[in-house]
Amino acid sequence: MNALITGASGGLGRALAIEAASRGIDLVLTDIDAQRLNIFRQGLLRQYAVRIEVFPCNLTNSADVADLFSWIQQQQIHLNMLCNVAGIDFEGDFLSMDCEQTIDIVRVNIEGSMRVLHGALRHRDPRNRFTVIMVSSLASLYPIPLKATYAASKRFLLDLSLSLAQELGNQNVSILSLCPGGLPTTPGALQGINAQGFWGRVTTNSLPAVARNTFKRALKGKHIYIPGVVNRVFSLCGNLIPRTLLARLLYLRWSQARQGRPVGEKLIG
Amino acid sequence: MQTAVITGATSGIGYATADALLKKGFHVLIIGRTMHNTLQALSSLREAYPHASINGFYGDLMQQDEVHRVADEIIAYLQTHTEGALSVLINNAGAVRTWYTTTLDGIEQQFALNHLAGFLLTHRLMRSLRLGHGRMILTSSASHKHCRIRFDDIMYQRRRYSCLGAYKQTKLCNVLFAEEYNRRFASEGLRAYAVDPGLVNTEIGFKQTGGLVKLVWALRKAQGVPAEKSARTFAMLATAQPAETNLYYYDCKPVAYDRHAFSGDAPQLLFDLSQRLCGITTFGGERL
Repeated sequence: MNALITGASGGLGRALAIEAASRGIDLVLTDIDAQRLNIFRQGLLRQYAVRIEVFPCNLTNSADVADLFSWIQQQQIHLNMLCNVAGIDFEGDFLSMDCEQTIDIVRVNIEGSMRVLHGALRHRDPRNRFTVIMVSSLASLYPIPLKATYAASKRFLLDLSLSLAQELGNQNVSILSLCPGGLPTTPGALQGINAQGFWGRVTTNSLPAVARNTFKRALKGKHIYIPGVVNRVFSLCGNLIPRTLLARLLYLRWSQARQGRPVGEKLIG
Repeated sequence: MQTAVITGATSGIGYATADALLKKGFHVLIIGRTMHNTLQALSSLREAYPHASINGFYGDLMQQDEVHRVADEIIAYLQTHTEGALSVLINNAGAVRTWYTTTLDGIEQQFALNHLAGFLLTHRLMRSLRLGHGRMILTSSASHKHCRIRFDDIMYQRRRYSCLGAYKQTKLCNVLFAEEYNRRFASEGLRAYAVDPGLVNTEIGFKQTGGLVKLVWALRKAQGVPAEKSARTFAMLATAQPAETNLYYYDCKPVAYDRHAFSGDAPQLLFDLSQRLCGITTFGGERL
């Protein structure tokens, strides 16, 4: 089995790659950062006896993504799986952030995901089952003031994936949207979790458990996975409360949580 | 003059040990995680010992390429200052993590820093230790007792992450590494020791941790002894003539460690696994 993982050198990308390798799945890893990608490849090869190829790539660049898939074809790698992890977010409210930063969030999270998803589906072997893991976010379930662009971009991915799961369901393709709460990946993410205090702790999930359950559910053909009981309760509540009220409530929470944090700081990606 | 390298030397036990060795007239090279911390520690040590020879290096030692970079810099420095010889290497840098997190190499962070970083740095500095008939000291902990290495899941990928469980396992790794090191290299006049510093009043539980760990450590820390007290044990092991011959020390004396944890070739298995995870074929290279 072969899986393509984007954003593979980040915290969640590494956890999913480790999970895949421990299941004996051969890997094609991509990330914008070639050096980090090579370091991770070497570390992973020392732990697991699987084939691991790396191909650094900027997913917002169409030529890069075309190169990625023609290289995969040249290598005669038949993909059975795509884990689309690459995504970014910056700290800050809409107006105090640089406009280009907000647009970068859309470029990477939406444009990049579309390119790689389309490419992977086009290059799949239609005779075999193809499994997609799209990394969305718990943030996709609500409108989130102060994380407006990020949450909306993840909403796009969630709705896209749910629709495509139906469109492609009879073509041997299954798509799972992963909607995790806080993940302890980068020092920035850890600060964010700690800044939220109790709620940060209970909505945070353990990386290896999320990776393990994501694979389990994706391979079973599930459509959505929200890790953690508290997060699932939140998502249910989110469906019952009117979205305007929800936005108001979340504004109150986030304006407290992000006090004193620097605007424009890269949170993930 | 004897030369010592100390990791995690910008605060806590490492800093106090640097201070203690400077007092004994050592030439001290400190390693810190960030440039800022390292410069700060250097300037306060230089202030306290204006005539001593002190230098500093920095790097995030949980990342293996950073260990290699720092090792290259230290080897180059030793070449020009001591003809390559190193008398004492103290692998002290350590951390606590509330959550499972990995390094860029894909290795669980506590295991990467508390054990593998020291393993890899020692490997890189073996030629210098051989030239200096040096000693290697690891900061372990009494928490290694009643803990076993789970070789099937050493990085907590399959079981629920336990901050303390992962920490204890790395501290057992320190004792097992010292044991295997002595088995392999004692015949060359090299020695390794593991030190239980006791409960020490340091900041370890506050760095990049959250909620419960911070709270528990705030309570524990208040009971701790000053770092200067545990630094005495490191200084004793660094200077004792002839060299001490036991494995595990607390308060300047050899004390009992958990021998049951050595069963099933654990020291050798850990050594082999560590070599593989660091991409080492022959630990320490050739004899002189």
